[in-house]
Formats: sequence, structure tokens, C-alpha cells
Amino acid sequence: MNKLKLGIFGCGKVTESLHLPVALQSNAFEVTCLVDTHFSRAEKLAQQYGISSVSNDYHKILNEVDAVILATPNHLHAPMTIDLLQRGVHVLVEKPMALVSSDCEKMVLAAKHSNCVLAVGLVRRFYAVSQFVKKIIDNRLLGDICDFDFQEGSIFSWKVTSDFMFRKEAGGGVLADTGIHTLDLLLWWLGDVNDVRYFDDFAGGVEADCRISLKLKNGASGIVELSRLRNMRNTYIITGERGTLEVGNRFNAEISLHLKGHAQVLKGSILTHGQPDRSMHEVFDKQLNDFAIAIKNGTQPFVSGDEGQRAVKLIDDCRSVRESLIYPWSVPVDHPEVCQ
Amino acid sequence: MIDKNAFLGKRVLVTGATGFIGGRLTERLALEYGAHVKAFVTNFANAARISRFAIEMVQGTVTSRSDVLRAAEGCDIIFHCAYGNRGTDEERRQVNVGGTQNILDAALQVRASRMVHVSTMIVYGTAIDGDLDESMPLCYSGASYADTKIDAEKLIFNYGKTKGLPVTIIQPTAVYGPFAPSWTVNVIEKMKRHRLILVNGGNGLANPVYIDDLIDAMLLASYEEKAVGEAFLISGGERITWHDLYKRYEAMIGEPSTVNMSIDQVKAHYKSSLKAEFFLTEFFSIMRDQPMIRRRLLKTFPLATIKKISEPILKKYRNSSGKKNSSPVLAKLDKTESVEKPIQVLNPLMLEFFSVKTNVKIDKARQLLKYSPRFDFKTGMNITEKWARWANMVNYDL
Repeated sequence: MNKLKLGIFGCGKVTESLHLPVALQSNAFEVTCLVDTHFSRAEKLAQQYGISSVSNDYHKILNEVDAVILATPNHLHAPMTIDLLQRGVHVLVEKPMALVSSDCEKMVLAAKHSNCVLAVGLVRRFYAVSQFVKKIIDNRLLGDICDFDFQEGSIFSWKVTSDFMFRKEAGGGVLADTGIHTLDLLLWWLGDVNDVRYFDDFAGGVEADCRISLKLKNGASGIVELSRLRNMRNTYIITGERGTLEVGNRFNAEISLHLKGHAQVLKGSILTHGQPDRSMHEVFDKQLNDFAIAIKNGTQPFVSGDEGQRAVKLIDDCRSVRESLIYPWSVPVDHPEVCQ
Repeated sequence: MIDKNAFLGKRVLVTGATGFIGGRLTERLALEYGAHVKAFVTNFANAARISRFAIEMVQGTVTSRSDVLRAAEGCDIIFHCAYGNRGTDEERRQVNVGGTQNILDAALQVRASRMVHVSTMIVYGTAIDGDLDESMPLCYSGASYADTKIDAEKLIFNYGKTKGLPVTIIQPTAVYGPFAPSWTVNVIEKMKRHRLILVNGGNGLANPVYIDDLIDAMLLASYEEKAVGEAFLISGGERITWHDLYKRYEAMIGEPSTVNMSIDQVKAHYKSSLKAEFFLTEFFSIMRDQPMIRRRLLKTFPLATIKKISEPILKKYRNSSGKKNSSPVLAKLDKTESVEKPIQVLNPLMLEFFSVKTNVKIDKARQLLKYSPRFDFKTGMNITEKWARWANMVNYDL
């Protein structure tokens, strides 16, 4: 069977280290072109991997692609996805699929009308660990879920080359950046939200630390804390009527399971056919493969637009009820309560 | 008191804005004084803390004349907090002295009303037993940080005199508080793994200053007329010993984390520790407990190779060690018996620093800057503890 022609739009770090190398190994796709507004960046990668077509304007190469991996800056996800879908191109869009949920809805509609696949790159759902947690909860091994405590964050040290991460075009600060993953897993595992309170330390720029207090439709309630300023526990704790599950948020994290009323804890890694997830390449390959199958069979991908929209919607809701986090060490010191 | 309107709408350049002192200065200028802050940023990886404010970030390095000039454009006040904390001695000198030269040139060119430079009390040496004030001679020690700070100070005063640029130098003591690397974060992190040595029972003077008091002094120094051409020692103004300081951190940690030693005992302990075994243990414990350092180290070629080979072994090691900051769920269940922590190794070169009773005088700052510390040690430390718990540096559920 003929391979699908794949374009990769946006040649930043994730493309260079994951999307492109993975796509080049794919049996389902042939990488036909690279696009980046920084032409030289796309050209360098194209030369390195022998890709014939390079452009800084994706409109010029639309006849060369059946499908696109869209890894452009976040604020371009929505307009580019809609444009591509309307032109009959299948899209795997990086997370977050859009900055606001109203844009997500437009993207989902565009996919419906064009009969094209819209997949969202919420890659953590492809981790074996994440899928295992989903199975444990869905199979009611913990019983009804009562509460949860999700913590994710470390002192920011990504090797960013510009202030883009800290500009509003990126969709905000830690809530949008880290939260999109954390909240997506939470919603996928535990279900939709009934009530939200949200606190962050925004002071005119982008938030670096936030706290979300959630009540879910199934009655469970809990806290999500995200930070770029402090090293967090970096685990998700989910407590049901029968026990507590704790899972790390790093790649191939261990799971521990504690049954209520017992001193013993089960702790270990999740294996598939005797193997843990070997690398991020492998996980990105699963994601790309799923995209290919959805295109070929005309089915929904594992993470569809509807699914991808859920965390964006929750982030919207957080912002709409925002309250300030007050740091005792940050406020002007005339406040006497600080000095106790 | 600081004039509330002194910075309103003013364009203020802060170098070293992603660091501890520059970061807090940026925060207070933006939040409390409504200044238009231009934050000079060399590495955006460190910018998360100041990204939450409505400020302008300008990328560049102080060693580039054009970067500095571009950043200084339109600025009225310049705070120079950047210093070289990495690379060879020569590279540090380029940042600390060459960079300062660039800042001075830019300040003159944009006709800045003041350039405030952050130096250190170490420019007077570490051997002063008794009162220390600004009349003492600067004293070269052979240590790169202190010596380049002296050269920068000389450069600044000379420049101020010959070119008529209004300059002021601030010489802080041991600055502590939220985010303070040397006298808060490092002490706590070390204490979590070691017992720290109190030289002679810790009766040397620490001269701590709470970060916001230092910031007050810097803000005053940027507009007080009498500050032009002057240097000011800034401390908290209390007689606080190393014993006071370390015991306060020990109380936060909640377990024995200090040990008294005489100078001879420190030397003997240092000698006995010079064994390969110790360095390996130390290395592994750093790799285990300091994710930032680990990540950085693992990117270097030799370690990347070793990592590949040793990954399984390291993993075992990690699993077997009772990690302090592990999850509350697990912590409740596998409480291991506490073992007495090893004693930190103190380089004998630091003995003088920790044993002298330097009493830093802040009379000049009180007089000319109208500086008056607002945070006594107790208050400053209480706030610091709140922060350390929030930052998950010490157990939050204690």
C-alpha cells in the first residue's frame, strides 16, 4: 500500500528530537516536506534527513501532503488546523490543541465537515502506565473514587532560547504548559468536573505556580498543584473506597498500590509483553501509528479533538474563576500578619 | 522609609534579574513601586520567577557592549546585580569587571540618574575580628569572586569621579530569605544530608541580612543624593552568630543537623575525609538529591556514557535509599529508622570565615541612606521558614 504523504509544520525542538525521527521510521507515512517560518531551521533538518521539500509558507506545499503533524507555536494551532482540515488534510496537532475551548470546538467541527482526522498530541495517554491507571479505575479496582492529590512541578530549567514560554501567546504560564498534561490525565482517568476553584500567582505576566481545587461529577474531590518555582512531589495520588494508587508523572514512572486496611504496598513498573515503555520515541511512534490507522480506517484517533478539548475547557474555566495566591514573603511588609 | 513615588513609571534596568537579589528587586519594583522594569536576562531558563510580573525582558549578556546598550536605552536607573558565577576565573573576571565597564559606559551614554552596583562585604577580606566599617581598606585575597568585586568597585568609583556618573555601591553581608541560594537553600539542602560544623561552637558572627532589607538599601541608594560616590555595608544590624543561624535552620529540619568542633577537629576531620570512598558517596548523594545538578552533569559527555552503563545500578541505589521527600503515602508506610547523618566536610580555607567575630557596622547606611532594617532575625527567619515549607524544601506536613 502507498504510504501517506506527511508534512511536519513547525521545526522546533520536539520536531527535531521526536516527531521527525519517528516519522522517518514509520511504515505508514513518508515525510514529504518540512515547514517553518524560520526557513533555515527547516532547511537544516531537511538536509540532514534528505527531505526534498522545504518551505516557510505552508500554503505553497499543500498539494504535497495528505496529513500534517502540527508543532507550531501554540497560538497558531487553531487557525492552522482549521485551515488544513478545510483543505482536506488530516492533522495531528500538538498539545494544547488551542488556547481557548471555543477554538477547539471550531476545530472539531472542521474535522467533522471535512471527514478528516483530527488527532491531539496528548502523548502521555499513550504511556503504558497511564493506560494501566485508566484500566484500574475503570474496572473499579479502587471502588468509587473519593479524593485525589496531583502535584507536578520543578524549578524551571528548560533550555529555552527565547522568552516565548513566558509570553501570553504561549497560552499562559504553568497552568497551560504543564497543566494541559496533568489535567488531561485527570479528566481521562476520573471524569468530568462539576466545580472548580483556581488560585495562581499571576501578577501581570504569566503564572508560575497555581493550585486548582476540583469537585468531580462522580463526587470525588481533590487538589492539583502545578509549579515552575518549586520541586513538587511529582506524583498523582488517587484514593478510592478500597485503596490508594500513587503514580509518578515522569516517563515510565512506578506505580504503588495500597489497599485500605493493609500495611503492604504493591510497587513497581508497568510492563507490556514483559517490557516497560522503552523510550519517548516508542511512545511517539504509537501516537503516529494510531493517527495512521484512524486515517486509513476513517475512525476516531485515540485522542480525538473532543478528547483534546476537555483539558483546554477546564483551563478556560480555571481562568474564569481565578483568585490570587498570596505569598507571605512577596507582599509589601507593612502587612503585620506576615511578621508573626 | 522609601519614597513610594520614587520609581513610579520610571524605566529601571536590572541586570542579574533572574538571580536571587535581582529577582526580588524586580519583583518589588514591579509590585510595590509601579516601575517599568527592564529585566536583563542572559538565560531564559532561569526566568520563571520573574515571568509572572508585567515587566520587559531583554536578552543579552553583560559582556556584550551592544547588548548592554540596547538594554539600557531609555533607562533612568540601573541596578547592576549580575555577576559571573560559572566558567573559568578569566570568564568570571570578564563578567564581573568587563561587564561592569559595559554597564558604566551604557549608563553614561543613556544619562542614567544613578547606577547602583551590588558588591560584597568580602571585599574587605575575611579576617576582621571586631568592628568593620567602610573606612577599612579593600583587601585582595586571591579568590576570584572577591578580587574581581574589588576591581569592579575601583573601576566604578574611578569612572564616577572622572566621567561624572552618579554611582553607588552596596556591600551586603550574608543575605538570607526566600530563594537565597547561599544562606538559605544551600544550608537547608546540606543539612538534609549532613550535620554542618559549628566552628568553635559557632561563636563567630554571621551578620545575616534579610533579602528585603537589602532591597530597601538598594532602592534608597538609587535616589538618595548623599549616596553618590559612596559604598555602603548592609547587614541586618543584629549580633547573630553562626550558632544562631544554623540552629534556626536545624529547627526547621527537625532533626540533629549540626555538630560542634574546634578548629583542630575540623582540620583532622577534613584530612580523614580525603578518601576516594567519601567522594563517591558524596557524588551519589548529590546525584540522588539534586535533580538540577544531576541533569546538568548527565549532559556532559563522560557522564552521559557512564549513565548508559550504570543506569541499572543507579536505579537500584535510588530504590534502596529512603528518600526524604518521597510521597506521604509511602512515607507513612515505610518509615525507616533514622540514622545519624554524616558530618559535612569543611575546607580549612573556610575556617577563618566561620570563626572570626566581624561586627559589621551599618551606621553609614543609617545616616546617609536613611537605611533602617525592618526585619529582625526572628521575623526574617519565620518568613524564610514559611517559604521553605512552601517550596517543599523541608517537610510540609510537620
